Amino acid sequence: MSSFGFGLMTAAVLAIATVGFTMQFAVTNVLNLAYGSIMINSAFVAYYANAHGVTAWASLPFGVATGAAASWALNRFVFTPFQRRNPAPITVVIVALGVDLIGTFGLQAIVGGSYVSYHQSQGHEYHIVGMFLSGLQLIILAICAVVLVTIHWLLRYTRLGKAMRATSANPNLARNSGVKTQFIISTTWLISGALCGLAGVVFAMNTGVFEATSAQLYIVLLLAAMFLGGPGEPYGAMFGALVIGLSTEISAAYVNPQYKEVIAFVALLGMLTFRPYGIFGSEKTL
Amino acid sequence: MSAELSTQGLVLTATGLSAGYDRRAIVSAIDVQASPGKVVSIVGPNGSGKSTLLKSLVGVVRVLDGHVTVGDVDTTNMASEEIAKIGIGYVPQVEDVFPPLSVKENLEIGGYLLARREIPDRIEAVLEFFPRLKGMMTRKAGKLSGGERKMLAMGRVLMLSPSVLVLDEPTANLAPMVATQLLEEYIRGFADHGSTVLLVEQRAKAALRISDWTYVLGGGRIVLSGAPRDLEQNPAFVESFLGGGAAPPPSSD
Ligand SMILES: Nc1ncnc2c1ncn2[C@@H]1O[C@H](COP(=O)(O)OP(=O)(O)OP(=O)(O)O)[C@@H](O)[C@H]1O
Ligand SMILES: [Mg+2]
Repeated sequence: MSSFGFGLMTAAVLAIATVGFTMQFAVTNVLNLAYGSIMINSAFVAYYANAHGVTAWASLPFGVATGAAASWALNRFVFTPFQRRNPAPITVVIVALGVDLIGTFGLQAIVGGSYVSYHQSQGHEYHIVGMFLSGLQLIILAICAVVLVTIHWLLRYTRLGKAMRATSANPNLARNSGVKTQFIISTTWLISGALCGLAGVVFAMNTGVFEATSAQLYIVLLLAAMFLGGPGEPYGAMFGALVIGLSTEISAAYVNPQYKEVIAFVALLGMLTFRPYGIFGSEKTL
Repeated sequence: MSAELSTQGLVLTATGLSAGYDRRAIVSAIDVQASPGKVVSIVGPNGSGKSTLLKSLVGVVRVLDGHVTVGDVDTTNMASEEIAKIGIGYVPQVEDVFPPLSVKENLEIGGYLLARREIPDRIEAVLEFFPRLKGMMTRKAGKLSGGERKMLAMGRVLMLSPSVLVLDEPTANLAPMVATQLLEEYIRGFADHGSTVLLVEQRAKAALRISDWTYVLGGGRIVLSGAPRDLEQNPAFVESFLGGGAAPPPSSD
C-alpha cells in the first residue's frame, strides 16, 4: 500500500507536468523535449529563493515564473525562428533535444553536481484509506486537483481556452474567424510553461532531494503519459499520468526502482505500436 | 431569410493578381471583381487554381503580384485575422469547421470578434437560418454529416454578418436538392439582401442560374468571363462545362 501512496504522488506531479506538455504540443505543434530541463531549472530557481530565506511555498511562484518565462523565450527565440524556415519535424525535435542538454548540463555547470533539498517540513502524517500521507503530500495533491480543474475550466468555458482549442484544431480557419493565433500560441507557451515550472517545483518537493540531472529521464514518463491518453487530450493526460505514475511506482516496489523509466518506456512503445492516438484520442483533439 | 445575417456589401477587387505556394505562382494575371447585391461565380476544371485564388483573397495564400482591395482598403497580403475584421466571411472547400469543438463552440469562434453579450443573439439568428443545427449544439463538429457540416461552416461565417461572402464549393458532397436550396435560396438570398457573394462552384449549370457574372479559370488564368446568358451562348464554354448536362463529380481538393 505504501507503493500505492508513492504512485499516487508520482501520478499527481506527472499529471500537472503532462497537462502542460500535451497542451503545448497540441496548440503550438512543437514537441518540446526540453520540458524536463525547464522543470529542473525552475526547481532550482525556487531552491535559491528558498535558500535566501523565502519559505518553500512562497518560493513556488518563482519556479512558476521561471517555467513560464523560459518556455516563452524558448519559443520566441529558438522554435519560432526555426519554424519560419518550414523545417522537417525531425529538425525541431533535434533542436529541442539540444536545448534540453544545454539546459540540464548548463545548470549542472552552474550549481554543481551535489544534491540539494528545500527547507521545508514534511508536515503532520495522516493515515488515509490505508496510505500514510504527509501534510506536504496532501498539499501537492490539492495543487494537482486545483490545476486540473482550472485547466478544464480554461479550455471549456473561457474565450481564450476555446481559441486555443480552435487554433489547435485548424489554425487557418481560426485566423479566418479573427483569432490572432500568434498571440494565442505565445499565451499557450506562457501557461504551459507555468505548469512546467510548477511541476518542476512539486517534483523536487516530492522527491525530497534533487540535483541538476534529476529530471533528465522525466521526458520518458511525460511522453508515455501523453501518448497513453492521446496527444493533445488534457483529460487523457490526467488518465495517462495516473496509469504511468501508479504502474511505475508499484512495479518499482517489486522489481528494481532503477527500472521506472524502462517500464514507462515499454508502455510508450506499446502505445505507439497499438494505439498511436491513445486510449481515447482520435488524432489531435484538444 | 433574416436580413440581419448579412450586411450591406463591399466591392472586392483583384487586379493583376498572381498567387501561389512557395513563391511559385499557381494563378496569375487575375482581374476579378465582386460587388454588393451580386453573386459572382468562378468555374473551372479541377486543379485550375480556383481555391488558390480564393485563398489569396482572404490572406491564406501569399499574393506574389498585383493587388486586392475591399471597399477602399488595400488588403493585399493582410493577415487573415485582419481581413476577417473588415467583414469578409470565408468558407474553405475543405477543413471548414473545427472538428473537436462542439457545434456551439464552432459558432462561438465564428463570433470571436463580437462582444461577449452579442454572441447568444447571433447564435439564435444563425439557428433560425439553419434550424437543422438546433438539435445538435453539443455534438462535436467532426461527428456531423457532410451536409450538416457545410451548414455549420456557413453558420460560422454568418456569426459576424459578413459584408462579403467568399465560398469555395459550398455544395460539394451535398445531395442535389440540398445543394439547389443552398444556392438558390440562401446564397442568392444574401446577395439579394445587399451582400457581396464570390462563389467557386463545380456545378456550372447551377452556378450560372444564380450568378450575375461568371469567370472561367483555366490553367491559373481567367480564360473567359461574362454574364451567364452570354456564356450559355458560347460554344466553347457549353462544350467544356455544360456538355451532357451532368454536373462534374464534386472534387475533394
Ligand atoms: N498547399 C499547396 N502547396 C502546393 N501546391 C498546391 C497547394 N494546394 C494546391 N496546390 C496546387 O495548386 C494547383 C491548383 O490547386 P487548387 O486547389 O487551387 O485547384 P482548384 O481549382 O480549387 O481545384 P478543385 O476543383 O479540385 O478544388 C494544383 O496543381 C495543386 O496541386
Ligand atoms: Mg478547389
